[in-house]
Amino acid sequence: MKAVLHMIEHDLRNFFRYKWWLAGLISMNLADLLIMAVVYNQMVSPEIAKVIKSYLDFFAPGVTVLGLFASAFMIGREINMEVRRQIHHYMLSLPITRFELALGRLLAGGLRGMMYMSPLLLTTFVFVGFPSLPQFIAILGALFLLATGISGLSIVTAVSTTSFEKFVTARGLVYYILFFCSSIFYPLSLIQTLGQEGVMPQAIVVLAELNPLSSGADLIRSFLLGNPPFALSMIRNLIAFSVVFTTTATFAYMKIIERK
Amino acid sequence: MVVVERDLRTFLRFKVLIIMRSIWFAAQVAFFGLIASRMVVPALADIYFEYYVAGVVVMMLYSASVFIGYDIFEEAEHGVFEYLLSLPVSRRELVLGRSIGGGIRSFMLVGPLIAIALFVIGLANPLNLLIALSALFLFAFGVSGMSITIAVTLKSGDRFDIFMGVLNALIVRLSTAMYPQVFVQRASLTYAEISRFNPVTFASDMFRWGTGIETYLTMVPMPLAAIVGLVVFFFTFTLVGVAVYEKRLEGGGWQ
Repeated sequence: MKAVLHMIEHDLRNFFRYKWWLAGLISMNLADLLIMAVVYNQMVSPEIAKVIKSYLDFFAPGVTVLGLFASAFMIGREINMEVRRQIHHYMLSLPITRFELALGRLLAGGLRGMMYMSPLLLTTFVFVGFPSLPQFIAILGALFLLATGISGLSIVTAVSTTSFEKFVTARGLVYYILFFCSSIFYPLSLIQTLGQEGVMPQAIVVLAELNPLSSGADLIRSFLLGNPPFALSMIRNLIAFSVVFTTTATFAYMKIIERK
Repeated sequence: MVVVERDLRTFLRFKVLIIMRSIWFAAQVAFFGLIASRMVVPALADIYFEYYVAGVVVMMLYSASVFIGYDIFEEAEHGVFEYLLSLPVSRRELVLGRSIGGGIRSFMLVGPLIAIALFVIGLANPLNLLIALSALFLFAFGVSGMSITIAVTLKSGDRFDIFMGVLNALIVRLSTAMYPQVFVQRASLTYAEISRFNPVTFASDMFRWGTGIETYLTMVPMPLAAIVGLVVFFFTFTLVGVAVYEKRLEGGGWQ
C-alpha cells in the first residue's frame, strides 16, 4: 500500500508542474459556463426550458464532468511519453511490484481529475444549489468512479498507441465522441427524441445513454435540479465503466512495461 | 514567396493536426450543430444548423491560423531562428511572408471543410461568396500576424500556449460564431459590445453573408462594415507584427 501511495505522490507532483496548462483549462471551462451557457440560456426553446429550466443550471454539472474528463485523461499523455522514451525501465527498477505500479498510476490519474474538478463542482453548487450530505457523498463517489474509469481509459489509449501522434489522434477521437454523444451539452431526452424521429442513428442514442459522462452529469443534475430523476442505471453505468477500464488498464500497463 | 512556400511545406507535415481538426469539425457539425438546432427557440431553429456550420468554419480558420505561432517556438527551440535571420531576406519580408503563409495554409486546411459547409448550407450568390472568401483571407492573414506578434512578444512556449488557449476561449465565445448577436445582447450588454468589435464576428458575418444566411447578421451595412473591420484587423496585426518582430529579434537571439 505504501508503494501505491508513493506512486500517487509522484503523479500528483507531476500534475502540479502543468500549472499553466491547468490555468488555461480552467479558464476555458469557466468561459464555457460564464459566456456560452449564459448566451444559450437566452436561446433555448420554451419546450426545452420546461425540461431543463435554465441552460446555465443544466450546463454547470456538464462542465464539471468535462473538466474531470480532461484532467483525468492527462495521465495517459505522461504514460505514453514514458513508454516512448523508455522511462518505464526506471519504474521497473523500483522496489515496487508491477501491480502496485499500475494501481498507483491509475488511482493518481483519478485523484488528479477529482482535484481539478473540485473548484468546478463548487462553482456548480454556488450556481445551482448545495446538495444534502448523503447526496454530496454520492456525487463524490460517483465522480471518483468516473475519474478512475477515465484514467483507465487514457492509460489503455496510451499503451495501445506507439507514437505520440497516434495517441493524440486517438485521444481526440475519444474526446469528441464521448463529449458530443452525451448529455453534457443537451438533455438526453432530446437525443432520444432525435433517435425516435430517425434523425440520429440508434447506435448514437445507445452510446449517449450508456456514456459514463452522461451518467455523471445526469447524476449531479438529479440531485441538484431534480431532473432527470435519479436512476440506478446511472450508478450501474459508472461502475461498469470504471471496472472495465481500471481492470483493462491495470493489465495493459503491467504488460506494456514488461515488454522489451 | 520563398518564406510562404517554406511555411506551406512545414504545415503539410502536421498530418495529426489535420486529422484532429477534421474529427472536431465532423463532431461539431454532426452532433452539436444537429442537436443544438433542436434546442433553440422556434424563430432560430429553422436556420440554426446552417448558421452554426458557417460559424464552425470560421472557428476552424481561426484556430488553424493561430498555429503559425507554435511553429515559431519549435524553430526557436531548435535554433532555426538564427538560420532564418542569416538568410538574405529582410525582417519585414520574413514576417509578411510568414503571415501570408500562415493564412494560406489555414485556408488549405479549411478549404475542404468550406466545401462541405457549402454543400450543407447551399450557395445563394457566387459573387457574394467570392467577396466573402477574399475577406476571410484577410482574416486568416490577420490572425496569423496576431499569433506571430504574440509569440515573439511572449518568447515562452508555455506562456504562449496558455495565452492562446485563454484568448481562443474568449474570442470565439464572445463572438457571433456560435450564436446571433441579438441573443448575446440579451445575455449581457458587455458581451455584446465586445462581440460587436470582434474579428471573429466580422469573419462569421462575412461568411454567412457570402453563403446567403442573411438573417441575424451583426454588422450594418453588409458587407462593407465587416470588410472594413477585417481590413483594419489585418493591417493592424501585420504592421504591429512587422514592428514587434523586427524589434524583438534584432541582434539575432530568441532569449
